[in-house]
Amino acid sequence: MDLSQLQSALASKSYEKIADICDEVMLQVEAHHFPKVASRGIVFQEEWPYAIHLLGHIYVNDLNSARFLWKSIPQGIKESRPELVAAWKIGQCLWNRDYAGVYGAIRGFEWSPEVIGLVTTFLDALQQGWTLDSSSQMLTVSKPKITTEQKLDPSKLQRLTEFVFHLEH
Amino acid sequence: MDSVEALVAHVQALSGNPEEVSHLHSLLKQSEDSLRSQASRLFPFLEQLDPSKHSLGYLYLLEAYSSGPLLEEQASGYLLTVVEFIDSCSAEQIRLAPDKFTSVCKSFKDQVMQLEVAIRGVAPLRTAIRKLQTSSEHLTTLHPDFLLLCLLSKCYKAGLSILDDDIFEVDQPRDLFLYCYYGGMINIGLKRFHKALECLHNVVTAPMTSLNAIAVEAFKKYVLVSLIHNGQVPSFPKYTSGTAQRNLKNYTQPYTDLANCYATGKFSELETSIQTNIEKFQADNNLGLVRQVLSSLYKRNIQRLTQTYLTLSLQDIAGAAQLKTPREAEMHVLRMIQDGEIFATINQKDGMVSFHEDPEQYKTCEMIEHIDSSIQRLMALSKKLSSIDEHISCDPAYLTKIGRERQRFDFDDFDSVPHKFLQT
Repeated sequence: MDLSQLQSALASKSYEKIADICDEVMLQVEAHHFPKVASRGIVFQEEWPYAIHLLGHIYVNDLNSARFLWKSIPQGIKESRPELVAAWKIGQCLWNRDYAGVYGAIRGFEWSPEVIGLVTTFLDALQQGWTLDSSSQMLTVSKPKITTEQKLDPSKLQRLTEFVFHLEH
Repeated sequence: MDSVEALVAHVQALSGNPEEVSHLHSLLKQSEDSLRSQASRLFPFLEQLDPSKHSLGYLYLLEAYSSGPLLEEQASGYLLTVVEFIDSCSAEQIRLAPDKFTSVCKSFKDQVMQLEVAIRGVAPLRTAIRKLQTSSEHLTTLHPDFLLLCLLSKCYKAGLSILDDDIFEVDQPRDLFLYCYYGGMINIGLKRFHKALECLHNVVTAPMTSLNAIAVEAFKKYVLVSLIHNGQVPSFPKYTSGTAQRNLKNYTQPYTDLANCYATGKFSELETSIQTNIEKFQADNNLGLVRQVLSSLYKRNIQRLTQTYLTLSLQDIAGAAQLKTPREAEMHVLRMIQDGEIFATINQKDGMVSFHEDPEQYKTCEMIEHIDSSIQRLMALSKKLSSIDEHISCDPAYLTKIGRERQRFDFDDFDSVPHKFLQT
């Protein structure tokens, strides 16, 4: 199982790439999984970094993939990995739009050094739109809309010219 | 007839360059029957060959072997061999025998499905498609098999790398039907309803002289996804085949009924319609989608409110949308705001919702990029269409038909038609 790409993504904090890397490596591992001898080989699932994989999906807000992944994990593994269960709790809260629950799920668990960076970065990004009204103790959540006005550059002019040419012929 | 040993020696000797390979190809074709009759002994010979250098020879042996009965204890070894072959084979060599390559991949897929380990076939079939295709615009017979494995293993995203390619060349019409149908299902799984509709639309409007089961099933899903995504089912476009227009609805009555009830906007009517036909929806494996149709009705009703009101209380929204409590209305409105389906603010203090205009000014970098890439796509498509048009104007079958109808028109209309096609 070649997890070097995953490790370098984690090291360089490219958290948005983690889900795709994990998905791809998993497909490759599955494809080459047939044991050469017809006996049960080592089941790779026990070595698979499911928590990181799940958090990778959550990080890019791909809750559908997170759900499918969770459903595919063998029950025994779910029961023996508390970090995995804690990661899923985040996903569940996000699915139900329970943002206070997300905060609680993240803050309420002692994450391993591998994932602590991912989880805290995710929480920071999520909290950007939050304001707490201390008088009424209400949390307002609004998605910040980051927009940049258009910049004109020569390549756009080129493309527009091509388009006009195309329309006239 | 060459013995297998002699054949293997030929393969090793004649795989160095295209001329040798071409000579080898004829030898292999001559030995086909001999190989098949000795199918069960062939496996050990594969070890004498290099799948990347001797791809064509390897393919012939592998295909002959796979055409024979596969014993259970040989299954794993065989599957791993196929995976490694697909990974390392030379695309140029295997494209000389596309039917054999396809046959090996199909029996691989069958095995993988039988063992219920669809996920193990996803990466290999994806690689196989890329090697078999003459270009990314070419639909092979392996495309639907690949999507089927993605569906069975729920690896929907893996399907996208193939599904997002535009197809302009099709080997077999049946492959296109299946490919688009499965593609629709994958997009449904990913909740890309817009893309799902495109795929299903292609099945429903594809040329057909007789109705097929794939088109019927695609139409059922098309109705449901149209309701979820657009709130209505569009009428058939003009280019839909007469067969489809006349017959599809006869086989999908429960779905047409559902669409009619949806149009009333009344929740209770829709629920009744669903209950009446629930076994049929279940048998068609469409119950999940049907439930999504039901919940989309709330959204539709709330969206309609934004067109009439500037502000509305959660209580009134609940009433208008036939929800039980203001709290439920709040949940729905909140979700719709977060999903960008409406523009509104909820004031929890007084329970009022204010509806806003779409703040999109169409001036942002993102929007410019979006418009720009659409324009690029359209220009490329237009060029493609022109070249297809030119290609057809040179097509003998087309020219013959035009030539036959020549008397009905002036000679000047057809100066471009060569004389040999101008027959009565």
